[in-house]
Amino acid sequence: MSEKLEKGLEVLRSEVDGKVKSFFSSCVNCGICAESCLFYTETLDPRYTPIYKTEPLRKLWRNEYSLWGKFTSAIGFAKPMTEADLSDWEELVYDGCSMCGRCSMVCPVGVDIAGMIFKVKHALSKAGISPEGLVDATQRAVDIGSPMGITLKTVQAMIKHVEADTGLKIPVDVEGADYLALLSSNEIALYPEYLESLAKIFDHAGVSWTLSSEAFEATNSGLQIGNKTIAGQLVERVVAGAEKLKVKTVISPECGHAYTALRWEGPNFIGKAFSFKVVHILELLDELQAAGRIKTSGKEAERLTFHDPCSIVRRGGIDAQPRNLLQPIAEDFVEMADHGNMNWCGGGGGVSTNERAEQLKLTAFNRKKSQIEETGAAAVVTACSNCRMVMEEGVETNEMDIELLGLTEMIAAHLEDRPAGQ
Amino acid sequence: MKIQTLLLLLCMMLPQFSQADGPPKKQTYPEGLLSLNPGGELWSDIRQRGDSVLDGTSQVKGVDSGILINASGVEWANFRVNELTTYSSIALAAVFVLIFLFFLIRGKVGIEGGLSGRMVKRFTDYERIVHWTLAVVFLFLAITGLILLLGRPLLIPLFGKEVFSLLASASKESHNLVGPLFLVSLLMMLFSFVRRNIYEKGDLTWLLKGGGFIGDGHVSGGFFNMGEKTWYWIVILIGLVVSVTGLILVMPIFGQGRIIMEIVHVIHVICALALIVVSIGHMYMGSVGTEGTLEGMKTGYVDINWADAHHDRWGKECHEKDLIISAEEYDKLVGTSSVNEADGSKTT
Amino acid sequence: MIENLIDGPLWYLSLAVFSLGVLWQLAAILFASRKPDLSVARGSAGSSAIKTVFSRFLPHREMRARIGIQYIAGYLFHLGLFALLFFAAPHVLFLEENLLGFGWTPMPHWAFIVSAQAAFLGLIILWLRRLMNPATRLISTRDDHIAALLTFVVMLTGCLALLEEFTALRLLHRFTVELWLIYFPFSTLMHAFTFVPSRAFTGAWFGRRGVDA
Repeated sequence: MSEKLEKGLEVLRSEVDGKVKSFFSSCVNCGICAESCLFYTETLDPRYTPIYKTEPLRKLWRNEYSLWGKFTSAIGFAKPMTEADLSDWEELVYDGCSMCGRCSMVCPVGVDIAGMIFKVKHALSKAGISPEGLVDATQRAVDIGSPMGITLKTVQAMIKHVEADTGLKIPVDVEGADYLALLSSNEIALYPEYLESLAKIFDHAGVSWTLSSEAFEATNSGLQIGNKTIAGQLVERVVAGAEKLKVKTVISPECGHAYTALRWEGPNFIGKAFSFKVVHILELLDELQAAGRIKTSGKEAERLTFHDPCSIVRRGGIDAQPRNLLQPIAEDFVEMADHGNMNWCGGGGGVSTNERAEQLKLTAFNRKKSQIEETGAAAVVTACSNCRMVMEEGVETNEMDIELLGLTEMIAAHLEDRPAGQ
Repeated sequence: MKIQTLLLLLCMMLPQFSQADGPPKKQTYPEGLLSLNPGGELWSDIRQRGDSVLDGTSQVKGVDSGILINASGVEWANFRVNELTTYSSIALAAVFVLIFLFFLIRGKVGIEGGLSGRMVKRFTDYERIVHWTLAVVFLFLAITGLILLLGRPLLIPLFGKEVFSLLASASKESHNLVGPLFLVSLLMMLFSFVRRNIYEKGDLTWLLKGGGFIGDGHVSGGFFNMGEKTWYWIVILIGLVVSVTGLILVMPIFGQGRIIMEIVHVIHVICALALIVVSIGHMYMGSVGTEGTLEGMKTGYVDINWADAHHDRWGKECHEKDLIISAEEYDKLVGTSSVNEADGSKTT
Repeated sequence: MIENLIDGPLWYLSLAVFSLGVLWQLAAILFASRKPDLSVARGSAGSSAIKTVFSRFLPHREMRARIGIQYIAGYLFHLGLFALLFFAAPHVLFLEENLLGFGWTPMPHWAFIVSAQAAFLGLIILWLRRLMNPATRLISTRDDHIAALLTFVVMLTGCLALLEEFTALRLLHRFTVELWLIYFPFSTLMHAFTFVPSRAFTGAWFGRRGVDA
């Protein structure tokens, strides 16, 4: 037995719990999950059927945990798993699944398919069967602190720029601040307007906040590649930073992966509950607006629609907040036909940093394309830099006349001017 | 043999039975006699030998409950046992012989230039589900129906009466239970395929050229050709007759009496036989008879050369609309490429 | 001889395999260790678990156009089968005399027939879809086909024995039922029980995160 196989099986075994047993013994292979998956509906390749992507874990369950498997191995008819049973699935789980979780919503017997695909990813990454690009990015995250190789210097340069542009002081390493804001790699490298917007909004609402020079990066490559150990290491850095500055709350940036890693999986990755709260930036903005601390003026005249980032909405429970925030600043807001919990992924998610999957990602984007076109909107608002980046690429490739907007920046652009002196 | 001898004896003892045809002459008694036997006259009335049907009264209220002996029943039973079984056996045997002869003469109808491996989508999943649902239900009803119709002369000698009585009961119960499903699947077939089966210009040429199966020349056809359309309408129209007559037989709750049932039964059998006979031809043509046809109902895709050969007008449309996919793409779409089975074994 | 076997030992064997197998599986699911979730819950896991057990009986609005035929055929089959199993007159009588000691009002004969027809049509369509759709064809295992075939054969032998006149036909039906019972805990037929914990687990997971699943 090869080392990779041994490691992979060992990790898979550690992932089999009551849930997995229940899920696999109730799946009747009805194929309804296929119809919910954009990688299937856009390619019609049956291999992208979500439950098929869990096959390594399922085969292990069938062999070692199911009654039939126990029976066949007792009489010596068990068919052992081979390394191909793992490596053949690498492309399916890394390129052909964005972990959007739509399949988990539609399964008639209630199987959390996405959850099990994550377990497969976890085993593959532990066994060293992952796409090179992702492995490199994860390595950079561990070594340098950021998958894009961003260092404190980069952030300091950006802070300088933002301070010059806004005339506001960006608080760094302020001990005892209420909130610790984090940034995703994309927000540092591609969308510096996010930090600018935070500065403006928090100044407007009088929020006590800070950045940390030690924990500024929220992107969790460990989660993307599926490696819980690395994901835990990256979460530890944030926890250490937050505890050092003694903040009450950590603000997850818009980024969906960062949010999942911090808000939901983080404590489980590191094996202990946090001493601070974690909120998503949209939750905080919604709270501030509801409390009257954010006042906006003016409305966007063009038709807008909202793309629900899967990790934030379907797998994060933040559904009403973006709508509440958009309502006062959008004149003509339309929902996509399938929105909220049942929104379609834009093709990004876990696939976004996997260069090998470029073509497949663009094909999968066709689903989003037709969804956007149905609404007749001129611009798509979203709240995840990853979604935004992937969709911008799709819009460009398809030569669509659509503008992509970040929700936090839109709020910042519509803040009411306060009378001087306040 | 024993039974026949017994029947013969019985007939000789009761001469009136052996002359079932022609009404008995009531008035002509031997001279001086008013009546041959009062009981005999009553018997004649009960046997319905007069011009009018004797409808008596009975405590039992129901259709035909006043009729003690149904004379037409004998006629129907004789027709069923003699003519129906004989001719249907001949028809079934004949169709197999014909197909075999056709196969000997014409062989498998191939495609000029062979199959290209490049495919076009012909039927959706739903359309194929409808087709096979109808096919499964039809086959089940055909088999159980034929057991009921031909079982006595064919199966009793093979299995004996004990086993046949069991088989007949099982066939009858399941035939009656599954029967209504034929109507349901027939209606599904009607709605999902009707649009493409309406006759149009050019269909007649197909007929005149014998569908291309006689002679060499290519014949023109759209999505469905004249032959397929005709088969479709045979299925729908005769199928409806078989369904409705079947329902009349299986649900005696609308006041239909024995005579109606007898006539309806004969119609049911004849129409069903017609369907069975033609369907055997259809099964042959769809599988062994022509190259590349079965694929369409299996995977939903057909070879573009097949489309061009048998349905040139539709084939042209596929070319124009660029609907043709490569062999690799086809393998991918039908799930036969790389990792093929759920157990992970590779096939290509 | 065969009659005694089918009505006697084989019947008890199949009942034992079925009930022990099902109980073992359910115990393996319910008593398996689960790591506690350390994140702060947004919503209630418990109420969402219960809600999801029921909400998954209906397809999401967004999915209806794509999977309508499966849901219709699925309901025809499952409802028909349940009605047959528990409300067909011969079954009620059998359960009363052999297993439970009490009975209930069976459904009228016509409803019996209609249920059987619905179950047959549903199963045929579902099975054909399994074979016709590339995705289901790819993911279907031998087990799926055996389970479908066995269920079909059980239903078919039941309808062959409708007249209730021939011992051989009754025995045939009972024999196939016994095979079905023995196969049950080893197969995906288990979904008849495990769909409840599965839906509850997923409902709880989403519920904690404040998502209506």
